[in-house]
Amino acid sequence: MSEAIIAPPISSTGRSLRTEEMIINMGPQHPSTHGVLRLELIVDGEIVVDVVPHIGYLHRCFEKHCEHMTNYQQVIPYVDRMDYVCSMNNEFAYVVAAERLLKIQVPERVEYIRVIMAELQRIASHLIAVGTYGIDIGAFTPFLYCFRDREMILDLFEMTCGARLLYNYMWIGGLSHDIPVEFVPKAKEFCGYFRKQLRDFNDLLTYNEIFVKRTANVGLLPADVAVNFACSGPMLRGSGVNWDLRRDDPYSVYHKFDWDIAVGKGEVGPVGSCWDRHIVRMAEMEQSIRIVEQALEQIPEGDVQSAIPKRIRPNPGEVYARTESPRGELGFYIVSDGTGTPYRIKARSPGFVNLSVINEISRGSMIADLVAIIGSIDIVLGEVDR
Amino acid sequence: MEQSKVIRKKDLTLLERMYIPEILKGMRITIGQMFKPKFTVQYPEDKFVPSASFRGRPVLVEENGIERCVACGLCSRVCPALAIEVQASETVENKERYPEKFEINMLRCILCGFCEEVCPEEAIIMSNEYELVFENQKDALFAKDKLLVPIEKVQARLDFLRSHR
Ligand code: SF4
Ligand code: SF4
Repeated sequence: MSEAIIAPPISSTGRSLRTEEMIINMGPQHPSTHGVLRLELIVDGEIVVDVVPHIGYLHRCFEKHCEHMTNYQQVIPYVDRMDYVCSMNNEFAYVVAAERLLKIQVPERVEYIRVIMAELQRIASHLIAVGTYGIDIGAFTPFLYCFRDREMILDLFEMTCGARLLYNYMWIGGLSHDIPVEFVPKAKEFCGYFRKQLRDFNDLLTYNEIFVKRTANVGLLPADVAVNFACSGPMLRGSGVNWDLRRDDPYSVYHKFDWDIAVGKGEVGPVGSCWDRHIVRMAEMEQSIRIVEQALEQIPEGDVQSAIPKRIRPNPGEVYARTESPRGELGFYIVSDGTGTPYRIKARSPGFVNLSVINEISRGSMIADLVAIIGSIDIVLGEVDR
Repeated sequence: MEQSKVIRKKDLTLLERMYIPEILKGMRITIGQMFKPKFTVQYPEDKFVPSASFRGRPVLVEENGIERCVACGLCSRVCPALAIEVQASETVENKERYPEKFEINMLRCILCGFCEEVCPEEAIIMSNEYELVFENQKDALFAKDKLLVPIEKVQARLDFLRSHR
């Protein structure tokens, strides 16, 4: 694909100029690598020949740490810190796995509240992704509006559980707090407000000619490559693959709501470009609003703590549960040896897997386009490294 | 690869090439924003006042001049960050045991709220203080002198816990 582009330029005399490959480091302190990611670039002038990501700067031994907890519940604050911009979704994945291991049935109300929280968190996470993506491309204004709206979601969370970022809210078998009475009207108000806001974002960023030019033909990820690299989430759907674990491997009460899966259609260029991944995120926010609105209407009464087990001692065995986090398939594999401490916890983090495709999609592009590609993958290094 | 061919649907006109409509579209939203109320807070001057649901640093409740804590050690056992150290001793009060030493290492504490949840006496609760900055590591070890707060100050949180648990 890249031969034609990398061919040495022809000078005015008709002879080709001698070019040389050069290795440069991008990151770990580069603002557009979204954290501490180091990319080793092999470049030929402005053209990227090869990209080697170096990760691990934020490795905190999450998996090893879990083996030394005194019980299963204590893992939850650590799970929060894996992907710190969507803590609720991380907790959701972990509690779903632990509940399958323990064979607990949680009350309806708990499931509904979890879905509401997870979808609000998905919006918050996509707002960061979209906002910082704007900055990467050079549009600063949408970032501020995105963060303002995200702040409103965090206010809702703070009202419920007292924390704004790392919640420790979903516990195995229940929730730490019930939602306060003001939550439902406030959340409904937010949904109405945010619908209008999304239209503004689309005007401001998505269909902005400059933005489209920077992203529409960049970082093409064909569907077969995406599947072969096990990409998931907006990365996969941006390439036109209709796959969402909320529908395809149902968990919780997602089957009760009416919503659509957003896929990239190649509106402004070939399918699977950075723009497609961006539009999938925008569309997903709208779908999340739909789910939240329906869940707020149908939420049943009940006790949110009745199913929390007093003593968590699963029978020896293992379980793998996967959920759709804003970045893709987030799975937890838990092995129990019958004691109160998990024997082994393995997290399958979507960011790590999605990042692995970067080499494939950025070969032959310009360095400036590489920034657009990294932004469109939407990595959170806390989750890549764990 | 076929897909990677650059697709240009139409050549841009001069007006479009100057991106002026795009810039104006952006400016419209920005200027509209100037007349809306401010969303931000000038932080060090205007402090953020948390509600009772907020989880700030954990504190010990002081009632009638002594701590409520009975030094059962549950909080130190449940703490995922191993931040709490309790040493029990006997007392003539009718609670019989009291913490001779109670220390929370605020560099370790991750404000998870498990200690508050597990305490049988409602003796350790999350306050609304969020400014936790230290100049050296010793300052971050909060002993009883810093942890004890009179019950009146945390009454809002205690009421919140009663109504939401
Ligand atoms: S604060 Fe509460 S849980 Fe901790 S030792 Fe005292 S009484 Fe026990
Ligand atoms: S809030 Fe959590 S980390 Fe902090 S002292 Fe309490 S249990 Fe430990």
